Amino acid sequence: MADETVLTPDLGFIKSLKGAGAETMKKCYQCATCSVICPLSPDDNPFPRKEMIMAQWGLKDDLANNPDIWLCHNCNDCSKYCPRGAGPGDVLSALRKIAIQENAFPKGLGKILGEPKMIWLALLIPAIIFMIAMKIKTGYFFQIPEGEVVFSKFFPISLVDTIFVPIALLVTISFVVSIGRFWKSLNKNPYKLMASGTILSGLIATIKEIVSHSKFDKCDANKDRVWAHRLVLFGFVGLFITTNWAVFNLYGLNWESPYPLNDPDAVAIFGSEAAAGLYRGVFKLTGNASAAILLIGSIMMFANRVKDKGFSSVSSSFDWTLAIMVFAVCVTGILSEVLRLANAASLAYPMYFAHLIVVFYIIAYLPFSKLAHMVYRTTAITYAKMANRDVV
Amino acid sequence: MSDDNKAILVVGGGISGITTAVEAAEAGYNTIIVERNPYLGGRVAQLNRYFPKLCPPYCGLEMNFRRIKTNPKITVYTMSELESVSGSEGNFTARIRKNPRLVNEKCTACDKCVEVCPVERPNEFNFGLDKTKAIYMPHEMSFPMRYVIDKNVCTGSSCAKCVEACKYNAIDLDMKTDSVEVNVGSIVFATGWNPYNAENMDNLGFGKIQNVVTNMMMERLSAPNGPTKGKILRPSDNKEVKNIAFVQCAGSRDENHLIHCSAICCMASLKQATYIREKAPDSNVSIYYIDLRAPGKYETFLKKVDEDENVKMIKGKVAKIEEDSATGDPVLTVEDVEGGGKIHQTVDMVVLATGMEPSLKAGAAPGVKVEENGFISLNGQSGGVYSTGVAKSPGDVTTSLQDATGAALKSIQSVVRR
Repeated sequence: MADETVLTPDLGFIKSLKGAGAETMKKCYQCATCSVICPLSPDDNPFPRKEMIMAQWGLKDDLANNPDIWLCHNCNDCSKYCPRGAGPGDVLSALRKIAIQENAFPKGLGKILGEPKMIWLALLIPAIIFMIAMKIKTGYFFQIPEGEVVFSKFFPISLVDTIFVPIALLVTISFVVSIGRFWKSLNKNPYKLMASGTILSGLIATIKEIVSHSKFDKCDANKDRVWAHRLVLFGFVGLFITTNWAVFNLYGLNWESPYPLNDPDAVAIFGSEAAAGLYRGVFKLTGNASAAILLIGSIMMFANRVKDKGFSSVSSSFDWTLAIMVFAVCVTGILSEVLRLANAASLAYPMYFAHLIVVFYIIAYLPFSKLAHMVYRTTAITYAKMANRDVV
Repeated sequence: MSDDNKAILVVGGGISGITTAVEAAEAGYNTIIVERNPYLGGRVAQLNRYFPKLCPPYCGLEMNFRRIKTNPKITVYTMSELESVSGSEGNFTARIRKNPRLVNEKCTACDKCVEVCPVERPNEFNFGLDKTKAIYMPHEMSFPMRYVIDKNVCTGSSCAKCVEACKYNAIDLDMKTDSVEVNVGSIVFATGWNPYNAENMDNLGFGKIQNVVTNMMMERLSAPNGPTKGKILRPSDNKEVKNIAFVQCAGSRDENHLIHCSAICCMASLKQATYIREKAPDSNVSIYYIDLRAPGKYETFLKKVDEDENVKMIKGKVAKIEEDSATGDPVLTVEDVEGGGKIHQTVDMVVLATGMEPSLKAGAAPGVKVEENGFISLNGQSGGVYSTGVAKSPGDVTTSLQDATGAALKSIQSVVRR
């Protein structure tokens, strides 16, 4: 037969999917309620019905390169209406985890660091790196400095730069490689989505959509998640701006934390201590407000996960790890600040150390963690817009 | 066999209960039918035609009513409910509550009372598609052939126009609830089913969109004695229905609604497709299904309907129905699983193939163990207690009749072996 198709199910993949929160996927009997209920599913080749059977058949390669799993915003309207309790929302969520691991570069590292049980190793690595760096720079592995709490006395800024700048570079390279591959596979995927339009216009439309959360807002069953996600996103964006602002303060203005107002460089630039104080106030407000927004958002995320929504939805350890890390980075950061202001040296420095470890975890493992969704999803939505697969 | 034998109590006077009672009585045993409605015949009486011969239900029911009328061994209590049961196999005491009909056996069905009655009520026999007066005949072949007054809407002795109009003194507005105690050897539950409440499926629009009806409403719309006299006219504007869609598994095989397959809805929709195809040669029918289930010999019927070019069968469950507010047309959305895209179809009327919800609720009926899902299993019942028909498991009329005959034998054994 000429039109015969041979499927090679990947049984290991089916098992790993079930482990990642898709235990229920085999219950699906292909009624396609989900594809109709989903407010984000296009008319042509809708999801998630087809993903359910592809998952049952173990078609790993097709699924890892499927843009549709990223168009899903996990609102779980499908799971609520599913007549079989097959949880398409959870299955797609598990598929995204596997897609991140499959597309990650280097792939092996993705598998190791993506596993929540490896979290202790993943946290130990930065701790060791930091201690070795401190030993080289200050002569001590872990020494709490005397006098007023100034974090750069404990962990010099130069160390932050020498560790985090290369890490950020590696993360960027990793994403360039894996997204390059992902983009290529989108163009030859079995649904023949021929891209049209320019990447730039697609990307701009996508970013507008992300900022407004307009897709996410179509969710019904899980509406509460929209605000939680919004706050966490804006919190992170605010902190990203603050960080870059701090870099500018240091290298552009030559003004170093904790930004004393009598600093001659600062006074020279701003003209007076009062003007410098105003500038510092706005800067600090940005940082603190962002931290507060992130804290509220991450607490809401926890609350939504444990809340009974009248239908079962699985939060995998992959989800929990990210939620915990976001919460941890927020709490350690805020506590570091509070303890520093209280001048509680014996607590402030270890807290700052813990904060650095969590920051390292979030940044360095970005391509392998759930947070990588921001890159994959942005890519997939951009592609969907170009392929006219977007539901407005 | 002797007359010392205890009677057999049959709870439910639908086709299964009637069959059990008639079969046992014709074998020589006293039987008692307790029926909640004011008439016998149950759900079958509401059908337009039924399998396997697609004849109107009256041909089967009429025959059974004649067997009941001529057999002194059968006692019928309509408008009655089983109140309590005690005892054990071979010796049960059952208390039956008889709700007042307000019309006695002198009624000749002359219709004079209806002419004068000023109060109207939705006709539940036709699923509210039309109205009756507060005093009414449940349907034209009611058994017993006697009027009944809906106490909930009748204004009582302050009106009493019907009492004046009745020449036979057949109306007694002061009739009280009565009860009777019977001694029986076995009890057969033939309590049947109700159509699943389609309003529970909020995505299918029933109750909000007038032209979305259930399959049982479709039977009434097609029946010559129905609200439209057998013309299939849609509720919103009485337009003749030419373009119709059937939504299979509407509430069945669904964890959020009825977890079971209701067994008959596929055949019911195929049958109803023929109603509309016979009435309007230029009509179009779409049947949306998850799996089409045509057990046994019904396969032939499925093939016959499938050969009709104007009947399309599409794999995919309809999960959204909206209304075109200008025309009142329902617009349904479904993924065509075999075609790979969503379909948005505008039709004159949508029929939801709603399933069978067993009449009893778990733990709510005296003398019998009802399972969590509402069905009555033969397993785990105390001796002498049986179930038959849809009360036991969803099924069509043919299967129910065979099962009811078996239940008659079981109930006789319980009476005889003591």
